[in-house]
Amino acid sequence: MAEVGEIIEGCRLPVLRRNQDNEDEWPLAEILSVKDISGRKLFYVHYIDSVNKRLDEWVTHERLDLKKIQFPKKEAKTPTKNGLPGSRPGSPEREVPASAQASGKTLPIPVQITLRFNLPKEREAIPGGEPDQPLSSSSCLQPNHRSTKRKVEVVSPATPVPSETAPASVFPQNGAARRAVAAQPGRKRKSNCLGTDEDSQDSSDGIPSAPRMTGSLVSDRSHDDIVTRMKNIECIELGRHRLKPWYFSPYPQELTTLPVLYLCEFCLKYGRSLKCLQRHLTKCDLRHPPGNEIYRKGTISFFEIDGRKNKSYSQNLCLLAKCFLDHKTLYYDTDPFLFYVMTEYDCKGFHIVGYFSKEKESTEDYNVACILTLPPYQRRGYGKLLIEFSYELSKVEGKTGTPEKPLSDLGLLSYRSYWSQTILEILMGLKSESGERPQITINEISEITSIKKEDVISTLQYLNLINYYKGQYILTLSEDIVDGHERAMLKRLLRIDSKCLHFTPKDWSKRGKW
Amino acid sequence: MSKLSFRARALDAAKPLPIYRGKDMPDLNDCVSINRAVPQMPTGMEKEEESEHHLQRAISAQQVFREKKESMVIPVPEAESNVNYYNRLYKGEFKQPKQFIHIQPFNLDNEQPDYDMDSEDETLLNRLNRKMEIKPLQFEIMIDRLEKASSNQLVTLQEAKLLLNEDDYLIKAVYDYWVRKRKNCRGPSLIPQIKQEKRDGSTNNDPYVAFRRRTEKMQTRKNRKNDEASYEKMLKLRREFSRAITILEMIKRREKTKRELLHLTLEVVEKRYHLGDYGGEILNEVKINRSEKELYATPATLHNGNHHKVQECKTKHPHHLSLKEEASDVVRQKKKYPKKPKAEALITSQQPTPETLPVINKSDIKQYDFHSSDEDEFPQPRLDQANHSCENSELADLDKLRYRHCLTTLTVPRRCIGFARRRIGRGGRVIMDRISTEHDPVLKQIDPEMLNSFSSSSQTIDFSSNFSRTNASSKHCENRLSLSEILSNIRSCRLQCFQPRLLNLQDSDSEECTSRKPGQTVNNKRVSAASVALLNTSKNGISVTGGITEEQFQTHQQQLVQMQRQQLAQLQQKQQSQHSSQQTHPKAQGSSTSDCMSKTLDSASAHFAASAVVSAPVPSRSEVAKEQNTGHNNINGVVQPSGTSKTLYSTNMALSSSPGISAVQLVRTVGHTTTNHLIPALCTSSPQTLPMNNSCLTNAVHLNNVSVVSPVNVHINTRTSAPSPTALKLATVAASMDRVPKVTPSSAISSIARENHEPERLGLNGIAETTVAMEVT
Repeated sequence: MAEVGEIIEGCRLPVLRRNQDNEDEWPLAEILSVKDISGRKLFYVHYIDSVNKRLDEWVTHERLDLKKIQFPKKEAKTPTKNGLPGSRPGSPEREVPASAQASGKTLPIPVQITLRFNLPKEREAIPGGEPDQPLSSSSCLQPNHRSTKRKVEVVSPATPVPSETAPASVFPQNGAARRAVAAQPGRKRKSNCLGTDEDSQDSSDGIPSAPRMTGSLVSDRSHDDIVTRMKNIECIELGRHRLKPWYFSPYPQELTTLPVLYLCEFCLKYGRSLKCLQRHLTKCDLRHPPGNEIYRKGTISFFEIDGRKNKSYSQNLCLLAKCFLDHKTLYYDTDPFLFYVMTEYDCKGFHIVGYFSKEKESTEDYNVACILTLPPYQRRGYGKLLIEFSYELSKVEGKTGTPEKPLSDLGLLSYRSYWSQTILEILMGLKSESGERPQITINEISEITSIKKEDVISTLQYLNLINYYKGQYILTLSEDIVDGHERAMLKRLLRIDSKCLHFTPKDWSKRGKW
Repeated sequence: MSKLSFRARALDAAKPLPIYRGKDMPDLNDCVSINRAVPQMPTGMEKEEESEHHLQRAISAQQVFREKKESMVIPVPEAESNVNYYNRLYKGEFKQPKQFIHIQPFNLDNEQPDYDMDSEDETLLNRLNRKMEIKPLQFEIMIDRLEKASSNQLVTLQEAKLLLNEDDYLIKAVYDYWVRKRKNCRGPSLIPQIKQEKRDGSTNNDPYVAFRRRTEKMQTRKNRKNDEASYEKMLKLRREFSRAITILEMIKRREKTKRELLHLTLEVVEKRYHLGDYGGEILNEVKINRSEKELYATPATLHNGNHHKVQECKTKHPHHLSLKEEASDVVRQKKKYPKKPKAEALITSQQPTPETLPVINKSDIKQYDFHSSDEDEFPQPRLDQANHSCENSELADLDKLRYRHCLTTLTVPRRCIGFARRRIGRGGRVIMDRISTEHDPVLKQIDPEMLNSFSSSSQTIDFSSNFSRTNASSKHCENRLSLSEILSNIRSCRLQCFQPRLLNLQDSDSEECTSRKPGQTVNNKRVSAASVALLNTSKNGISVTGGITEEQFQTHQQQLVQMQRQQLAQLQQKQQSQHSSQQTHPKAQGSSTSDCMSKTLDSASAHFAASAVVSAPVPSRSEVAKEQNTGHNNINGVVQPSGTSKTLYSTNMALSSSPGISAVQLVRTVGHTTTNHLIPALCTSSPQTLPMNNSCLTNAVHLNNVSVVSPVNVHINTRTSAPSPTALKLATVAASMDRVPKVTPSSAISSIARENHEPERLGLNGIAETTVAMEVT
C-alpha cells in the first residue's frame, strides 16, 4: 500500500472506470501527470488496456487502487520532452501475469500485439536498431517496445506479418510498391529517401525534422511528447452540445485551464466564457459554414470551404477536429486543403454535424484527408454519409480515391462498413444474363464506386468473398452475408443523392500553388 | 485436406470473377486452403492500434453478427447533456434560402472587433456608464485596437490616445483597466490566439504552435523557363502593391487627421459659443496657456504595410549606381589621365571621386531568393533591368565625351601626344583625334613617366594575378584592367552580349607583347596567318584555342548565318531598288552598299559578327600556314559569306577611316561588343578617307602596341575583353594583300554558292569592290 504522495509519473496501477454497460472495472493505467489543484491531487491516467488515448482522463486518488501500484524502474526512466519517438515516459517493466490479474475484467493483450512479429525478423528489419534494447524475449512484451514496432512499419510497411504467408501476391504488378507508398505518404517525392533514413533520424540525436508537408495525418509519432499525449481541453460547448475532447488540440494555451471552452457554433471561434460567446454572437452573423453550399437534400447540406481563402474558419475547424482525431496534424497551414462540412438545418441555421478535408492535389489518390463526425452525431449513419459523399465527389472527378492513412479504429470500421455495403450492393444487383452466371471484374467495381482497387480487394477479402475454385478466383455470396447486408441496408436511411450535388471539380494544378 | 500442390494464380483485377450465390455455391472446403495463398491487404491502420482489443471485438462482432451490437462498439467519452440556454444564446431564426448558399469571394469584412467582452469587462462598463455612456461594442473596439497595436510591448497612454478616438477620460479609464487586465492575463494577448511559429525555428517542436507556413522554397519547373520571369513579375507586382498600400495608408491617415481637425474646430467653436467668446479673448488666453505645454506628438504606428515600407527602401536602389562606381574605379587605375581640355588642368587630376553611393545590401536581395531548379545561377531579378537603364544613360554620357579632347599619352613610344580624343573605329580600333592647342610645346616635354607614377602603385597589386600566363615576362602591361575587374565587368554584362572568354584577352595581351619582342617564337608571320584564319571562320577544320570549343563555335556560326539570312531577306527590296544604280555607277557602289550595310547591322548581329571574329583567334600553326596559301579559296568557300566578310569589311573600314581632323590614327582593337554602335559612323566616313589608306595600315601595324585611353575607352573597357588585336588588324592587312592580286571581285562573286540570294551577292560584291578600291589607292 502506497501513499498518495508517493504516486509519481510512470507509476502503474488499476484505476476504477465505468464501462459502456455501466459496470465498474479496474483496468490497469499509467500515471502520466500529476497536478495539484487547491490542495487536491489529480492524476492523469492512460489506460494501457488500449493503445488509444481516448478514455484517458484526470482522476482523483479515490479511483486509484494503491494496493497494486508498480513504481517505475529507475533505469527505465526516459526523458519525457526530448521528442524522442516512442519515449513512453517512465514506463515500468511490465509483468504480464501480474497485470492480467490486476486489470480485472479487461485483459490487456499486449502479448498478441508483439508476438505477431517473431524476434529475429524484427531485428533484421531495423538497421541499427536501438542499442539499449535488450535482445530478449521479455523485451517484446514491453509497451515501450512500440518504438521498435514503428520502425518495422516504416521499413516494411506492406507486410504486417513478415514471418508467415506464402509469397503468392495478389497484385504482382504493383501491389507491393503501391502499398509501400501508401503507408509512407509524401515520401516518394524525395528521390533518395530510403526507408532507413527515418531510423537514422530517430536514433541519432533525437531532433526530429519538420514533418512532411503533404497530407493531414502523422503516421509516425516522432513528435509525440508528454504534452500531446494528454488531453488539454476539459470540455467544449458547441451550439446545443457539450463535447468531451478525446485528444490534445493546440488551442491557445491560456484557454486550456478553463473548465469549458465556448465555441461559436457557426464560425467555430473560441471564447473564454459564456459572456464572450454571447458578445461574439452579437457580432457574428453567420448561420452556416462560410463556404458555398454544394449539396442539399432535406436538411442535410454540404459546404465547401477553401483552406486558403477562409483561413480562420479552416483553422478553427481543424482545432475542433483535432480534439477527436489522434493522428491529425496541425503542424502546417490549411492552404492545400478543401473542407467539406456537413450540416443539418433547423430554424436556427445550418449546424455542423461532421466534415472531411481533402487535399486539393493528392499525389497518393487520397480523396479524404481527415474525416470526423462530431461525437453527438456519431453512430447515427452520418459517418457513412460523409464517406459516401467523398466518393460521390470522386465520381464527379472521374477518379478513384482512398482515405489518407493511417486510419483510426473508428475510421477503419466506418470505411470497411461503407466499402462492404457498397460492393455488396453492386454484387447483389448483378443479374444473370441469359442464364449465365453474373460476373464482374475488380476494375469494374472500382470504376463504378470510385473506391480504389486495393480497397475493393481488401474488402472482398475481409468479407471472405474471394475464393479459388477450379483454377480461378470466384466471388461467393453466402446466405448470411446476403442476409446481413439486407438487414444493414434497411437501417441505412441516410443516403447521398447524386442529383442534389452541384459540384464542379477545379484543376488545382493549373492554379499555381493552391 | 492435402497441402496445396499448385501455386494459385495471381488475382487479376481485369479478369471477370463469376459470382456464386446460395445453392450454386461450391463447397467452401474446396477453397479454404487456397484462400491462404492470398495475402491480406493492409488495413491502413497503425499496427499497434489495429490490434487494439476494442476494435478487434467490434470487428469480430461485425463479422459474426453482420451488425454491431451495442456492447461491441468502441468506447468513447460520452458527450454531455444538451445546453438548455441555447435558444437564449442563439437568438432569432434563420430561414433556409431556396437557392444554394453562395458566399461572395471578396466579402468585405465589416471590421468587427475580435475582442469579446467578458463579465469582468461588463462590471467596468457598468461603472463607467454611471459617468458617461459607453457601449459594449465601443469598448471592444478600444480593447481590440490596444491589443492589436501592442506586441510584446504595451502601447503607451499617448499612443493609445492617438489610436483611440475617444474622450480623454474614457481613454484613461479603459487604458488603465486594460493594462491591469493584460498584466493578469496568462496568455500573450487578451484576444486568445493560436501560437505563431517563430522564424528562428525554436518553435518547431512546440505542440501549441499550429498552422505553420509551408516554407517550401518556390520551385520552378525545369521545363518552364517563364516561371522565373513570372516570379520576377510577381515580385515587382508585390512591391508596387505594397507601395499602393503605403500611399493609401498615408491618405487614410491624412483624411483621419482632417476629420479630427474638423471635429476639434467644431468643438472649439461650440465651446466658444457656449462661453460667449465671440471676440476670441478666451481663445487667445487658452492658446497662450497651451503653447507653454509641451506638445507631444508621436506618429501613430501604422500596422498594415509597415514592413512593406521597410523592404521598399532597401531594395529600391537601382543597380547602375554601383556600376558607375566601378567604372570610375577603372578610370583611376588607368595610367593615362584623361583631362578636360581646360587649360589650367595640365597633368593628372584624379577623376572626381564618385559620391559615396548606397550599396545594395546583398541580404536585401536575398529575401527574394528562390532556388531555381536549374543548376546555373539565376541572376538577381532586378539587376539586369537596372543594367539596361544604366547603359542607356551611360551611352548618353558617352556621346558627350566622344567629342571631348583629353590630355593623352601613349605607352609604347613613351610620350605625351597632347590633347586628343578617342573614338572607336570599326572592329574596335581606337582612333585618336589629336587637336593642336597652345600648350602643345609644353606637353611634348612632359615625361610620361611622371604621369604613370601616380597610378603605378595601385596597379602592381593586380599585376601578378594578371600575368600568370606564359608571357609573364613582359612587364609592360600595367595599363590593363585588373583581372578581377574585367571578370566582374564581364559578369555584369553577360546577359547583354556575347562575351569572349577571358583567355582571349590574355592571348591578345601576349601577342601584343610578343610583337615587340622579336625573340619570341610567335612572329609576325604567325600573326598574319592567324588573321587569314580569321577570314575563314566558317571553315570546319579550324582548331580553336582560347577555350571555345569547336562545337560552340559551329553553333555560333550557324546562328550567324541565320541572322544574316534574315537581314538580307529584309534588305532585299532596298537592295533591289539600288540595284540598277549600283551597276551603272560602280564607283558609288561601295559607299552605297556600305551605307546599307551599316543600317542593317543591328546590334545583335554585330555582336555575333564580332564574336565570330573573336572565337577563332589563334588557330594551329600548320593549319594557318596552309590557309595562307589557299587564302582566296577559303574565302570562296565561305559558307556565310556576308557574315565573315562584313566583319572583315568593318575592320577594313576601321583601318581606313580617318576623322575629319587630320591626325595620327592610333589603332587598337578594344571591344568587339562596341562595334554595333561604331560601325555606322565609320562606314559613312570611309569613302572620303580611302586615299589615306596605306599610311594608315602601316601605322596600324607599327603602332599596334600603342594603347590609348580616354573616357570613352574606359567605358568600353569595362564591358569588354579585348581579343587579339593584332590578329584583327593584320587580318585585314594580310587579307587585302593576299587577295588583291589574285582575286578579282567578279571571281569572288562567281565562286559564291549559286543559291545565295541576289542581294547577298550584291553585298559581297560591294565589299569586294571596296576592298579593291582600297588596295588600288
